This record gives sequence, structure tokens and C-alpha cells, in this order.
Amino acid sequence: MEDKTALRARDFWTSLILIALSVFFLWRTTHIPFFDTQTAGVASGDWFNSAAVVPYGIFGLMLLCSLGLLAISIKDGGAERALHGAGVGWERNEIVRMGSIAIILFFYIFALVPRVDFVICSALLISALVYGFHDGHRDRMKIAAAVVAAAGLYALVMNFPQSQWAKPHDDDWVTLALWAGLTIYTLLRHRSEYAIRIAPWMAVLVPLVLVLAMAFGFRQNVPNRAGLLFSQIEYHYYVTLKPMWSK
Amino acid sequence: MEFFFAQVSGFWDALVHLASDPITYPYLIASVFLGIIFGALPGLTATLAVTILTGFFGNKFPLEQSLIALIGAYVGAIYGGSYPSILLNIPGTAASAATAMDGHPLAKKGRGGEALGMTTTSSFIGTLIGTSFLLVFVWLLLMISKNIASPEKALLALFGILLSGTLMSKDLVLKGWISGLIGLAMAMVGLDPILSETRYTFGWSYLMSGFQVVPVLMGAFAVPQIMDGMRAAGSVGQAVDVGKIVPRVGTVMKRFPTIARSGVIGTGVGALPGVGEDVAGWVSYGVGKAVCKDGDQFGKGSINGLLSAEAANNAAIGGALIPLLVLGIPGSPPAAALLGALKINNVIPGPTIDPQLILHVVAILVMAAATMAIMGLLTARVFINVLRIPQTIFLPVVMVLTTIGSFSVGGGINDLYLMLCVGFVAYAMGKMHYPIAPLVIGVILGPLFDETFRRSLYLSDGDLSTFWTRPGAAILLALNVALVLSQMPVVKRTFRRLKPGGI
Repeated sequence: MEDKTALRARDFWTSLILIALSVFFLWRTTHIPFFDTQTAGVASGDWFNSAAVVPYGIFGLMLLCSLGLLAISIKDGGAERALHGAGVGWERNEIVRMGSIAIILFFYIFALVPRVDFVICSALLISALVYGFHDGHRDRMKIAAAVVAAAGLYALVMNFPQSQWAKPHDDDWVTLALWAGLTIYTLLRHRSEYAIRIAPWMAVLVPLVLVLAMAFGFRQNVPNRAGLLFSQIEYHYYVTLKPMWSK
Repeated sequence: MEFFFAQVSGFWDALVHLASDPITYPYLIASVFLGIIFGALPGLTATLAVTILTGFFGNKFPLEQSLIALIGAYVGAIYGGSYPSILLNIPGTAASAATAMDGHPLAKKGRGGEALGMTTTSSFIGTLIGTSFLLVFVWLLLMISKNIASPEKALLALFGILLSGTLMSKDLVLKGWISGLIGLAMAMVGLDPILSETRYTFGWSYLMSGFQVVPVLMGAFAVPQIMDGMRAAGSVGQAVDVGKIVPRVGTVMKRFPTIARSGVIGTGVGALPGVGEDVAGWVSYGVGKAVCKDGDQFGKGSINGLLSAEAANNAAIGGALIPLLVLGIPGSPPAAALLGALKINNVIPGPTIDPQLILHVVAILVMAAATMAIMGLLTARVFINVLRIPQTIFLPVVMVLTTIGSFSVGGGINDLYLMLCVGFVAYAMGKMHYPIAPLVIGVILGPLFDETFRRSLYLSDGDLSTFWTRPGAAILLALNVALVLSQMPVVKRTFRRLKPGGI
């Protein structure tokens, strides 16, 4: 059973954040015309025409609910616990685990997927997640996060602007090298673990099959078509393979 | 009576058309199979199954075919959750939480096969009951909905968000309402629907079109599951030997009153806006405990307890589709994902919906239920073996699936940024016991609420009495007010005092 006071301590901080957000967005709502709206180019002084009516209601109610939450957290001893440094009930292990996953997902989505070949960066993601979290060791979580962060940082720093995303770069090779390095390291050190043995197969096959299915089966858009592997796959599909059955 | 026969005849034509089309079967078998796998793997949900498939199908496939896949996965996933509930005491989905109460004690007594067989049969019958109600009531409600104007729609949308916030909260009701308000606030981003005024875009052109439903759904349901499930303790472990699964006809007939009652309750609860299959399961379980002769045995391995939960959660599917098709208000989170799929295919649910589409949906539900029953009874051992896959192996795959699915829907990389941000927020909210379903319902119903609320004011020249002078609006306003008041501590205390024996 979770400690109720720890939960109320979290509620105390959350309510303060929600109050700040509500006030900020109430202020932002004042940027939307309220008494001087334009309806089809005609000036109107009616408040009920305004696009700000519903947002005022929403953020006003959110402010009220947040104040209610603050009152409850203070009444139930959450504020006292929060302000006396007793913590909000999160363990160090959980913070490391959560932080490592957050770092991996952040660099995967914000740095790698836009810039690096989807098959390669997804292979790195799968290998890092399986290695880092299968047995719950903190050191493995940190290594997994560091490897994905290294690949992500390289791609982010070297090819930051959006104009560079669709062009082939060496960040594909760096990510591939990091994936190969991580895979060899894990196979050498932890070969006895079943998950580690199947991870390289999963890491290659899952994104490859998905990308092929999406691009050529479901006819959907896929990330980074100029990536190292996908550009070759697409080229050979249209130049080498497709003419065989088109004729 | 004539109306009823016309309905049945229309449904029969749609069913024959669907059954005679060979393309139906690969879609149906693959999607129901995938759905059962998603349901059986703890950490994956019915909503996620429907959302991921929405991303895959997008608007590049004929809607009729996409719907087969999405509804097949929905039906399969709600049923699939019963496997880990019964065999491992770990609910595969929230909808099957009540199933574990009696399913697992039965498995421990060596009656796991019987429990799975009865669950499959009751889920099948439950889905058919929900579908029957959908077939009949959706038309009656469609006729009524033609008289529903903006004030009623605004109040109904608000009721859906409030009800979802109230019933989904495991801690304070206030948190459910805050979650709904956050969803509503997110829906305000972009161009407003009446004057095209920009709101909260902060100069970013991507936000002009507002938050897209599919990335929000993926973020809200997939990312927190991945963050929470990636732990060593997430390994499910060894599956169990269950013995004979196919139940005897006599046993099913004997339990039919329980299945029928639970099916009706499940449909009713499912039809409430924003309330999911999990609430349907628990409500039906509670009713079953009160009315069944062996109510005192509930929780100790009662077949009636198991059937009360399972028939209801599958019947809730048909119920959840009623408000979705009639008003565009989803009855449950997976129905919200289904609404996302309809929207990206430019189908606007409501009084103007194509009647053939409704009959098609009903026919798909019937065929999906039959496929689920056949798979459940004949290939249950395949799904039992799936339970042995640890979360740390399948969740990374789900992350890749989610990423490519979310990317493909339309917004590209920006949708992925949105997905991850929503995911981090949803994870933090989950850690602080805020329900996520009201947030999603808020995002989906927000534009409807905004537009209809303001249109009501516009048409009444700013006169707020439009919300209580119309009979329908007055009833809905009273329901909204009653719902809020019923959660106030003062009112709760007063009711406790007024109860017999409460003084």
C-alpha cells in the first residue's frame, strides 16, 4: 500500500505547478480578443462571440480545482512532509530506472528518428532497452542510456538544423557502430541470458519488417527515407525489383 | 415491429456481404489474433491495439477494411485480457481486472481450462448482446439526436468528461476532473472552430491545426506503459497447464441468465460517455454478487462471478459504440481511438452518418465475436504460451511500433514530439494517481464542447438560460450539476446521515 502522506506531498507540489500553469494560461488567454472580436471581418463587442470564452472557463476551473487539491494536501499533511524534506516517496532505484528510460526515449525521438536511418536507430533502441532493463541492474541501465545518448548527441550536434535531416550523414554510421559495439559487448559479457541472445535478431528484424510493411505494404510515410539502409532498400525496390513484375 | 424487421434485414444483408468477401477473413483473423495477444500481454491495452492499427491503416486503405481490423483488434483485446487474469492473477487489461477475482481462484483449484472456456463463451455472448443493443438503439437514438441541438451537445460532452473523471479516479475525484480539464485545455490549442482565432500556438505553425488525436492517444497509453513496464519484475514467467477448455453446452445454458444479465449491464455502462469496459466489469460483478445465489462465494472461485465480469466487459464494446456513432462521443478509450480512425477518414459520426456504415460495423462486431470464440476455444494454448514473454522483450518492440505508427498518421516528426511529451506528462500523472482516460476524452470532446457551447451562446445572443429552458438541455444540466454535487464532501456526509441506520 502506497504511503498516503507521500502521495499528498506529491499532490502539494503538483497543485502548485497546476496553479502556476492555470494563472499563466489565464494571462495568455487575455491575448485572445474578448470584447473586440472580429466575426467575418466585422467588429463585434459581444463577449459571447469570443474564442476566449471557453478557455477562460477551463483555466478558471482548473485554478479552482488546483486550489482544492492544495487545500486537501495541506489538510492531510502532504505540505508538511514536502516542506520538511522527507521526500515525495520515490526510491533512488526507481529514479535511476525512470531517468534512464526517459533519456533513451528522449534521444530516440528528438535526435535519432529525425536524423538517422529508422532501422539502425530502432535497432539501437531495442538492444539498449533489452540490455538495460531486462535484469534490473542499475549499472546496465546507465550504460544503455549512455550509449543511446551518445548516438543522439552526435546526431543532434552534427546535424541540428531541419534542413540537414533528409540528407545522408555519418551519424548513420556512428549509430550503427554504437549498436554493433553494444551488441558485441552484451553478447560477450551476458551470453547466458536468453534475452541478450535474441535481442540482436529482434533489433534488426522488427524495425526492418515494420519499415518494409509500412512503406511498401501499407503505403504509409516512414521516417528518414534518405537513411543509410532505407535509401538502398527503396532504390533497389523501384530500380531492381519492381521492373521484374511490372513488365 | 416493422422497424425492427427492417433493421434485422439490413443487418443480414451487411453480414452476408461481409462474409462473402474473401478479403474479410485475413483482416479479421490477423486483427483478432493481434488483439488477443495485446490483451494477453500485461502492459498492452485494447486502446493501444486500436491506436497502433489506426496509425498503420491511416487513410490509405478503404474504411470498410480498416474498420474490420480495428474492431477485430478491439474485440480480441478486451477478451484477451482474461488470460493473464485467470492464469496468473495479473489483469492483462483494466477491463479484465474483475475477472481475476474469481478466475484465478478457479485456476488454482485446477479449473483453469473450464474458466477459460466459460470466459470465451460468455465474452462471445456478451459481445452479441452489446451488438444487438447497438443495432436497435443506435437507430432510435439517431432519430432522437436529430432534435439535439448545440446546448444539449455541449452539456453531453461536458457530462462525458465529468463522468469519466469521476468514475476513473482511484484517488481523489478532483484529480479525475483536473485530468479532464487538462484534456479540454489541450483541445483549445490551434485555430478556434468558429472564428479561426489562433489560441496558444506560441508562433509554431504545427500547432495551428491543434493536437492530433492519434499521437495524443499513443503518448497517453503507450509511453507510460513502456516506462512503467521496463523493469525486471515485469517478467510474467511460466504458463500453466489448464486441461480441457471447450465447455459443455448444458453448463453454458445453466449459466445463461447470469451471462444475459451481465451483457445488458455491460451494454448500459458502456453506453455512458467516456466510461470504459473496466467499469462495466466491476459494476456487473457488484450486481452479480448482490443478486446471485452464490454471491457469498464471489472472490473464492465462483463461475457466476467470472461470467458477471467477462460478459459485461465484452458487451460494453457494443454499448461504447452507441454514443460514438450517434453523437461522436466515445463510450470508452478504445472507442476514442476508433473515433480517431473515423476522423482521419473524414467520417463524421452523428445524425448524418451513412446508415450502411453502421450496419457494416454491426456485421463486423458479429464476425469478430465469432472469430474470437473460435480462436479462444481452439487455439487457447497459443495465447497461454504468449504469457511467457517478459515485458522487457515485447515493450521495446511496442515502442518501435508506436513510433512508426504515430509518424505515419500525417504530422510526421512533430507528431512524435507531441507523442513523447504527452507520454511523459501522462506517466507523471499516472504516478500521482491521475486517471489518463479523462484527459484523452477531454482532448477528443474538447472541440465539440467548444464549438457547441459557443454556438449556443451565439444563437441565444449570449443568454445563458438556453442551457436550462430547453427540456433536453435542462435534464443534462441537472445531471452535470448532480454529478458534481454528489462528490462534494458536505453532500456525501448529508446522504450518509440520511441513510437508514446512518444516524
